[in-house]
Amino acid sequence: MPNPVIAHTLPNGMLVLLKESRGAPVATSWIWYRVGSRNEPAGRTGISHWVEHMLFKGTPQIPAGELDRLVARNGGVFNGFTWIDYTAYYETLPADRIALGLQIESDRMANALFEPEEVDSERTVIISELEGYANEPETWLDEAVKAAAFTRHPYRHPVIGYREDLEAMTRDDLYAHYQTFYMPNNAVLVLVGDFDADAMLRMAEESFGQLPAGPALPQVRAAEPEPQGERRVTVRRPGPAAYVQIGYLAPDCRSPDFAALAVLDSALSGAKSLTFMGGGAQTNRSARLYPALVESGLAASAWSGLTPSRDPYLFELGATASEGVAPEAVEAALVAEVTKIQQDGIADSELARARKQMRAQVAYGSESVTNQAMQLGMWETLDSYRRVDTLLDELAAVSAEDVRRVAQAYLTDRRRTVGHFVPDTIHISG
Amino acid sequence: MSSASNGATLRHVLPSGMVALIRRNPGAPTVSVRGELRVGAALEPPELGGLAVFTGAALTRGAGERSFQQIVAETEGLGCSVSAGGGTQASGFSGKALAEDLPLVLEILADMLIRPTFPAAEVERLRGQFLTGLRESEQDTGYRASVAARAMLYPPDHPFSRPSSGSLESVARITRDDLARFHRRYHPALASIAVVGDIDPPAVVAELERRFAGWRPDSAPEPVSIPDAPPLAGVRRGDIAMPGKVQSDLIWAVHGLRRSAPDYYAAMVANMILGQIGMGGRLGEQVREEQGMAYYCYSDFEADLGAGPWVAAAGVSPENVERATEAILAEIALFREEGPTNEELDDARAYLTGSLVIGLETSDGIAGSLLGIERHSLGLDYIERYPAIIATVDRDQVHAAAQKYLSTESYILSVAGPV
Repeated sequence: MPNPVIAHTLPNGMLVLLKESRGAPVATSWIWYRVGSRNEPAGRTGISHWVEHMLFKGTPQIPAGELDRLVARNGGVFNGFTWIDYTAYYETLPADRIALGLQIESDRMANALFEPEEVDSERTVIISELEGYANEPETWLDEAVKAAAFTRHPYRHPVIGYREDLEAMTRDDLYAHYQTFYMPNNAVLVLVGDFDADAMLRMAEESFGQLPAGPALPQVRAAEPEPQGERRVTVRRPGPAAYVQIGYLAPDCRSPDFAALAVLDSALSGAKSLTFMGGGAQTNRSARLYPALVESGLAASAWSGLTPSRDPYLFELGATASEGVAPEAVEAALVAEVTKIQQDGIADSELARARKQMRAQVAYGSESVTNQAMQLGMWETLDSYRRVDTLLDELAAVSAEDVRRVAQAYLTDRRRTVGHFVPDTIHISG
Repeated sequence: MSSASNGATLRHVLPSGMVALIRRNPGAPTVSVRGELRVGAALEPPELGGLAVFTGAALTRGAGERSFQQIVAETEGLGCSVSAGGGTQASGFSGKALAEDLPLVLEILADMLIRPTFPAAEVERLRGQFLTGLRESEQDTGYRASVAARAMLYPPDHPFSRPSSGSLESVARITRDDLARFHRRYHPALASIAVVGDIDPPAVVAELERRFAGWRPDSAPEPVSIPDAPPLAGVRRGDIAMPGKVQSDLIWAVHGLRRSAPDYYAAMVANMILGQIGMGGRLGEQVREEQGMAYYCYSDFEADLGAGPWVAAAGVSPENVERATEAILAEIALFREEGPTNEELDDARAYLTGSLVIGLETSDGIAGSLLGIERHSLGLDYIERYPAIIATVDRDQVHAAAQKYLSTESYILSVAGPV
């Protein structure tokens, strides 16, 4: 029986989630902030991601360059990442060194320096990161699809931001964003590992309890209006293949239909690991898209995905066309699989398979404290950490009829954005 | 047929010569299987480049009585997975399952290794996927820079001179019979398998004995061997112009070392300090943190049977290629000249020993470590001995390794990026 999650809110509003996990002598410390590209106004795209980078660039106590050495010296690994709805940082360490994770995160929640020369140096690092993404044809297609699918909601902007915004952003813009969102009342601390939960909670209180709460947070008012018809985008650039990406405006993760959409996604391409740290099992080849798109020879790969999100996001499908196959044919095959489910629903065997696959993916994820903490933090940031436990029950309650109903309700022509990447004819030297 | 155990790990040699490494890890109700054979692209004729990779990937496409569709339906239906693939120096296979489903995974893996059927239609499907993958790789700056670097580092008859994935021409040429013929090289005496998870080790031994009993090839094992390469003389540079790209990938490369080299640990620590620890060691500190030129800059080497490349790599704006190259060369020159500081050495040693428990947290991680221990005959007590091994690596040894392998006079420079 897994250990329970202990939830405790500090007087400054910071939620602490703790879970003992005694399998290996390791522990992980995660801090989550409810801020991401969702919170960015036009002209400031990429600011959350850049702030995340600046939190590795020094405080008075831990100067730039010292943080990574400190973690390494203690046998730990660390990282940070920014997504549409959240920004998170973690340190995974030998269990007896976990205090270091708390020290680093409480320090940089309040004391990050944002020195002007570090800001300028990081500007070119981030533009280099953006240029690396821009080398991939899929990035161009994905950005075009998101920009068309969302007309009002900030989900239309890439997390990395637009180059012109990155070039214009000032130190004060970044610092103001930090001062607004990096507050205990906008943060969740998640600790999982080989420790005594009571002692660990006292340690968390000592590290974070003295930080003052921040002012009320600006709310995201933008709401994507109901789409009034299909949208289509085409990207023509040099590339090795044609790609198709389709996004249907889908409900957020708190919707009662979320679990049915997750089963729909499983029927199309298998149940996914709910973390993006890997370690799951491949489950797509016995699902519907693989035989229809890949075994048929139309595509070299095909996928679908449902991203848990704070506001309505996308249910997506995509494929890489085989040599000589037009994107139109690939699109038609993807849509045909959706149509089949809308008409005939899914088989009971597919329901059972989705449940068992999800149970297995949850078990694989539980092997690592880092993955466990990541799931708790992600769900708490989006809704409630309890979803980690209730999701399997939610999935078990989904019927085949529910799957057909949500496919009919959400995967409609008018909620759809279709993107084609069409490779320009090019000559490659060498 | 012999068994030995150290602490929690049971090492058992099957009558066929296949080595099994089994360890109970009850932290989660799961099991990980990882295995490998000393058979790889180094054994394939260059005109059939990609044969080892193709053969490995084809094992799931039909084995024993099962079709590809049956294999994936049965395994994925239980949330399990099985896979296999080839590389230059070895071919690997793996499985993952809830512990209750281990017998099915072992049954199918045994069929894949012993009784693959290579159905013609599946071979053609797989070929189509490989060709698309190769076309995508050919427009990947990192891949192109790496392939060009290897072609300059090693003579054409050396297995490291070509990518294990082959070329569009060679993959188009491979026949079903080629796959079946290459598969005959799969030999239990060249194979090891690690099974780690919420399992009962003696029961797993019995299951392996039963499942792999039929593996009795009629030929003698022929393991991969990798020749030495002639030393580099001077600087060679290759530039690849790629339309539609925004960023350049640049690679500096020299010959590294074999895993069996006596100065392996010193070289590993040197590499960690040069381009790994923290945000990419000294290279990351200089090129990313100080000069803001790249999102990534790091060094790494491949030390297995053969002395693979030791590279430093970065992704930079095309206008920064020369400046980044100079920065990398300057760091390498400085490191060769002065070696590490005592603080750097302490940090690297503390990281390598301290992080051991993190690498051994999951069943996948443990299985991977056990395979490495077997691959290089390190002994079942290797994990216990490891901290002492690292503790004895001193500053002079690291400095000597840097001077021996790294160079700013004889090296390869490969750049792939915008026209």
